[in-house]
Amino acid sequence: MNPFDPQSALLAKHAQHVVLIHFPIALFVAAVAFDLLAACRHSRELATAVYYNLTTAAISTIPAAATGVLAWQWQLEGKHPKGILLLHMIFGLLSTALIWIVWWLHFRVRRSPGGRLPAYRIPIELLSVPLVALTGHLGGFLSGVNSPG
Amino acid sequence: MKKQFIRRIAALLLLLVGVAGLGSKNAHAGSQENANQVKIDNFSFTPTTLTVAAGTTVTWTNSDDVPHTVVSDDKVFKSKVLDTDEKFSYTFTKPGTYPYFCSVHPKMTGTVVVR
Repeated sequence: MNPFDPQSALLAKHAQHVVLIHFPIALFVAAVAFDLLAACRHSRELATAVYYNLTTAAISTIPAAATGVLAWQWQLEGKHPKGILLLHMIFGLLSTALIWIVWWLHFRVRRSPGGRLPAYRIPIELLSVPLVALTGHLGGFLSGVNSPG
Repeated sequence: MKKQFIRRIAALLLLLVGVAGLGSKNAHAGSQENANQVKIDNFSFTPTTLTVAAGTTVTWTNSDDVPHTVVSDDKVFKSKVLDTDEKFSYTFTKPGTYPYFCSVHPKMTGTVVVR
């Protein structure tokens, strides 16, 4: 396969999911880190960065999840999910839902002037990060990235 | 009385020899069968290179926790996606070298040499 051949790069059956999934993961983890910093330093600038990071993370879950479903249908021929694949799917759905919930908590506050972010978002965010990491870890096994050798 | 006892012992020995012979024949058949098997485990094909005679049916078994496929480089054979413990068999009729890979994890490769 020629790495500079657009057809082989774009039409590879599962390549897009493996590429696109890095965006919500990185943006969400960065957003949580910034949110913790913003909470400690009472920084509005960091809070703004958190909001935009979360917005981009939430939006990027859509193509990531869509290409994940396509990878399942095309590359794995819609195989009945079980084992690692099933866990990856469940954790992926949960992670997506949590990213959107965290984004909504921030969005709601930004829409209401003088609104304050609820403190319970922090444990939700801290729960979401390892779940996102675990989903990625399982995805790495499915794609062979985390395979031995 | 003594003759009868010796006959019984001889019959028993014959029976034991027969059973042992049958067992070894089965063991031999088992090893022959294993000779045409490729195990998929830990993201690799074992053995990586398998040499068989023409007309042999080779069976791949996925012992891994993730799905794999068996696809020859020149598309001579192609399995469906194999879940854990699922098998794929192909009968090689023509001599030659058949390199193959897993289409889900292309770095997994193997070769069947048919003589």
